Amino acid sequence: MKIGFYTFMLLISTGLTAYGQALDLKFLDRLASKASETANVSLDGSLLQMAAKFLSKDDPDEAKVKQLIVGLKGIYVKSFEFDADGAYSESDVTAVREHLRAPDWSRIVDVHSRKQGENTEIYIRTGGKGFGGLVIISTEPRQLTVVSIVGKIDLDQLSDLGGNLGVPKLELEKTKPTKKDD
Amino acid sequence: MSYLEEDLKAALRRVEAPPDFTARVLERLAAPEAPKRNWWAELALLLRPPRLQWVALSVIAGTVIPIAGIHEREQRRMEGEMAKQQLVYAVRLAGSKLHHVQKKVFEISQTDRHL
Repeated sequence: MKIGFYTFMLLISTGLTAYGQALDLKFLDRLASKASETANVSLDGSLLQMAAKFLSKDDPDEAKVKQLIVGLKGIYVKSFEFDADGAYSESDVTAVREHLRAPDWSRIVDVHSRKQGENTEIYIRTGGKGFGGLVIISTEPRQLTVVSIVGKIDLDQLSDLGGNLGVPKLELEKTKPTKKDD
Repeated sequence: MSYLEEDLKAALRRVEAPPDFTARVLERLAAPEAPKRNWWAELALLLRPPRLQWVALSVIAGTVIPIAGIHEREQRRMEGEMAKQQLVYAVRLAGSKLHHVQKKVFEISQTDRHL
């Protein structure tokens, strides 16, 4: 664990720049029918540029985000919240992992919390052609979140943003869970 | 002599007036002055075809084009604001997950150290 910790801290502290390419997460859309809340973010390069224009330089938080996304080619998020445990299966998560195989991808950290049933995995693209990237898979008994970031990103800055600012309330799509199983 | 001077000389060379020039000027001076139209007459003139068509076209273009421009700009602003909201959400979500992991790893490491 110590080696893992030092590796992780080294990557963070040196402001590692991760590279990546867009991950196809469409197969997760079928979970939306079971979810009570769904967040779906799909920002390609042109949309990122458009969004950047609307980020204020005067607002320190937005200025940080603006600085962070300079080298990015895309950001994709799929997040599902469920009303009950077991709404998604391990095979759904495995299907995401299937896209993140070595040697192109490396899992830099994998944190399990048996008590709370939380599991977070972080992958970075370390080899191969393309823009590279970062993928975060976070699972909880009633939540599944996959974040895919394409392009150069400073993990240190990203972590700072998450630590200082927290997650804002996004107008999540409220979906009524359907009883039928996919 | 430079080309510029030659050009100037050529452009400003003396040209004789045509033979009927004086007669034409005198004729114009003797001609009765055209009656002045009032503003109403000028307006009425605009409302006669084919000018009416051009006036209508100008009015339509002058109204529709700015409205379309404003609508387009508003649409772009809304799309940009939505993209910005999504971007901020995605960045903070990713950041919070990363920060959480960092914290967890640090806690585990501290526990290991105490053991």
